[in-house]
Amino acid sequence: MAIVSLRGLTKKFTDTAAVDDLNLEITDGEFVSLLGPSGCGKTTTLRLLAGFLQPDAGEIRVDGKVVSSAALLVPPERRNMSMIFQSYAVWPHMTVAQNVAYGLKFKKLSKQEIDAKVTKLLGVVHLAELKDRYSAELSGGQQQRVALARALVVEPQILLMDEPLSNLDANLREEMRFEIRRLHEEFKITTVYVTHDQAEAMATSDRIAVLDRGRLVQVGGPAEIFDRPKTRFVAEFVGKANILTGRMDGDGHLLLADGVKIRLSDAGGPPPAGEVLVCLRPHNIMLVADQAGARHLADQGYNLFSGTIRRSTHFGDAVDYNVELGSGASLRVIAPPSQRFASGQSIYAAAHCDNCVVVRDD
Amino acid sequence: MAIETGTLDHARQGGWSAWRFKDPTLPVWLGAALLLIFLMLLPLGAIFRASLWDESGFSIGRYLEVFTNEQFLKAIWNTVIISTWVGIISVAVGAALAWLVTRTNLPWKKTIRALVMASFVTPPFLGAFAWTLLAGPNAGSLNKLYRYVTGAEGALFNIFSMPGLIFVMALYSFPYVFSMIANVCELISSDLEDAAEILGANKWRTAWSITLPLALPALLGGFILAFLQSLSLFGAPAILGLPAGLHTITTQIWALFQYPPRLDLAAAFSVPLLLATMGLIAVQKKILGRKGYSTVGGKGGQKRLIRLGWGRFPVLLFVLGILSLSVFLPYWILLKAALSQAWAMPLTWDNFTLKNLSFAFFEYGDTQLAIYNTFKLGLLTATLGTVLATLVAYITNRNLFRGARYLSFFALAPLVIPGIVLAVGLFIAYTRPPLVLYGTVWILFVAYLTKEMPIGFSQAESTFKSIHPELEDASRIIGANRLTSLIDVTAPLARSGLIAAWSFIFIGVIRELSASILLFAPKSKVVSVVIFDLKEEGQVGVIAVLGILLLVVSFAVILGVQWFAGRDVVATRE
Repeated sequence: MAIVSLRGLTKKFTDTAAVDDLNLEITDGEFVSLLGPSGCGKTTTLRLLAGFLQPDAGEIRVDGKVVSSAALLVPPERRNMSMIFQSYAVWPHMTVAQNVAYGLKFKKLSKQEIDAKVTKLLGVVHLAELKDRYSAELSGGQQQRVALARALVVEPQILLMDEPLSNLDANLREEMRFEIRRLHEEFKITTVYVTHDQAEAMATSDRIAVLDRGRLVQVGGPAEIFDRPKTRFVAEFVGKANILTGRMDGDGHLLLADGVKIRLSDAGGPPPAGEVLVCLRPHNIMLVADQAGARHLADQGYNLFSGTIRRSTHFGDAVDYNVELGSGASLRVIAPPSQRFASGQSIYAAAHCDNCVVVRDD
Repeated sequence: MAIETGTLDHARQGGWSAWRFKDPTLPVWLGAALLLIFLMLLPLGAIFRASLWDESGFSIGRYLEVFTNEQFLKAIWNTVIISTWVGIISVAVGAALAWLVTRTNLPWKKTIRALVMASFVTPPFLGAFAWTLLAGPNAGSLNKLYRYVTGAEGALFNIFSMPGLIFVMALYSFPYVFSMIANVCELISSDLEDAAEILGANKWRTAWSITLPLALPALLGGFILAFLQSLSLFGAPAILGLPAGLHTITTQIWALFQYPPRLDLAAAFSVPLLLATMGLIAVQKKILGRKGYSTVGGKGGQKRLIRLGWGRFPVLLFVLGILSLSVFLPYWILLKAALSQAWAMPLTWDNFTLKNLSFAFFEYGDTQLAIYNTFKLGLLTATLGTVLATLVAYITNRNLFRGARYLSFFALAPLVIPGIVLAVGLFIAYTRPPLVLYGTVWILFVAYLTKEMPIGFSQAESTFKSIHPELEDASRIIGANRLTSLIDVTAPLARSGLIAAWSFIFIGVIRELSASILLFAPKSKVVSVVIFDLKEEGQVGVIAVLGILLLVVSFAVILGVQWFAGRDVVATRE
């Protein structure tokens, strides 16, 4: 078990910073995801953690001891970490059992001990019957299980995962998300998980660190990241977001361009002066057709917007509406299919003030 | 397993404690890199030093002497003429064959490819020798046949002439162009050609206006390749040109090594050859690497074959005719010479003998030692060469340290050093202390290792490129150091590519003549040198036996590798 701290971590590739002054503390047994679009520096961060790359500035400490800095680099093989790769990297010239046993070869164990550990781990990942197969004879999901077993059998202090599910098809991906979380609950290994898929990060992680252009933008639990995004980038990258622009009036309300006043969530502290951006999640907006219903919601602390349905798309489990507001801005709303509104219909869109979150422009 | 760490402060204190955490296998990589650089710089340094300095100091007098002497200028001129013609003929024949084999419904394609490969593997000096038996003006079998059929007095063809030399050199240079163009043709998608046909061009016009321009960079590249090949050949010009009083640059350099040796002039005369090669390779790279032709590099897409119609069989006969010049006729005459008492007579029971074999293997003084030396050097060079090429290709591919990719420049450098120039450099470098290798087989070993490095390196490099680096990262992170990872994971995965590299080096070594001819000593003769010497003595039967031995071993190695690696080695050779 291990506490990992990244302090001022910086890595440059030909002058552009791939990772820029990154600070992150990961507690013992925690599962942290590095989330961001491609090129945000998440994989570079992971490879810095693994020791495949050396930082240009800053340091990485494991349990307080420096393992990476500009002056020092403990090689990957002496970090007591394991890693799962995007390509699975199951060695095609070894059987499943040989793949899993490989890391134990460096541990000075007897053959019996090795066999016992391999058998146990293959059981954990449900691959016991396939132990003599070669990777060419395995499906993508099975290969990923081999990679998991191979990484876990060496009892690492830290487990690193680099987009492990991105090569799997959608169904298998969902199944493996739960599998990864299950294995984490079982082994409680400090884990750093790199992904560009927010759903994957949400399903697996204790905390999510969102990266943008090499910088850490926000760290927090899945709900916090989703409900209380700090920046426009986080709001738009993690889930869908409507961003409205306005200015604060004197008494704590936000005055939108078309004169509509809305109340804001006070969780984020007082909003800044000048132009203010507000994030509204499409899922958190209700549509009501009648004025009475709208007034009722307003009494319960909802902000009301009047508008017209411009387009609706039925997804089966939800309907995606495009609502044109009085100001001409459009609002995206995702509503349950039990309620149906027609295109051209005038409606009220209602969003609770707690769900109107001020975000920083990047 | 405990993590060995220091604190940051600790690391700041001294370089050594920081160094301790660096890659512990670093000495292996640095050692391989330094060995490579040493191998490449030493002969070149020796050439420049010997051509510019002597006891009395610096002087460019030797260059002046080389470039004002009419004999030397004549040799340069001959070389330019010969190489240009060889280039043109090789491109014409190689490109035509490549196009026929890849894009048309010509029958017997596998056989044709195999025969082209046989021409490839045949040492040019052996082909040249066989052609002296076939088309020598007096005793040559083809000329005798001509006289018999026509009743004429003279010879149809005198192989000891400039056209004869060009002809033979082209026979053994066109396979280089063939493999290059065949690769390109396989990459040009039929879609591009279809587009032209839809616009109304017929298939010949399509071939002319679409396929040819797409292949043009490869054609120019092929010309340069064949030109360079003939520029650096020694055996064929020596066997066919010298009797006609025809010197090329390589034979002229060799002549400067004969008594009284003028090493300084040989060194000075090597420099233009070196510079020409460098320049041409630079041009070739530029042509082949130019943008806009990258469409050719696609996945190839759908390919349909052009139907030759009634022309199929005449074309096949034509192709087999060409290949009979490079393979059938020379092999036949060698076999006949090996098995007959008098090679010029018909092979009848009376004329049949195994004496040549027993004489070659058991009686003739030099052959046993030469065979032993050749195969010892072949095995040693192939094995050590593959190891060194593997390490260097690994360093450049994984960019193990700053500047690592410049190493590929050194590994490929011998491409621009003709064998005989390399030999001049090594001769000068190793005939004096501190390291006197001349007179031993080790100077040959160094020469072969250097000369074959580009083939081994490019083979290993392309093999490593095809292996995902994560496969290796996966073993690093769970406890294997770099070297262990290379041995346990990367090398086994690269096995078939590395075996191919081994066999290319081996075959290259056992047929090497142009460097060996300057570096051998009585105790370190190799088969190619013995063949060259025997030519002076007119020992045709023994030469044929030794030549066939080289061919048989080369083919056995290729077949063995194909069987072992389960893939077509020739297809991967660049």
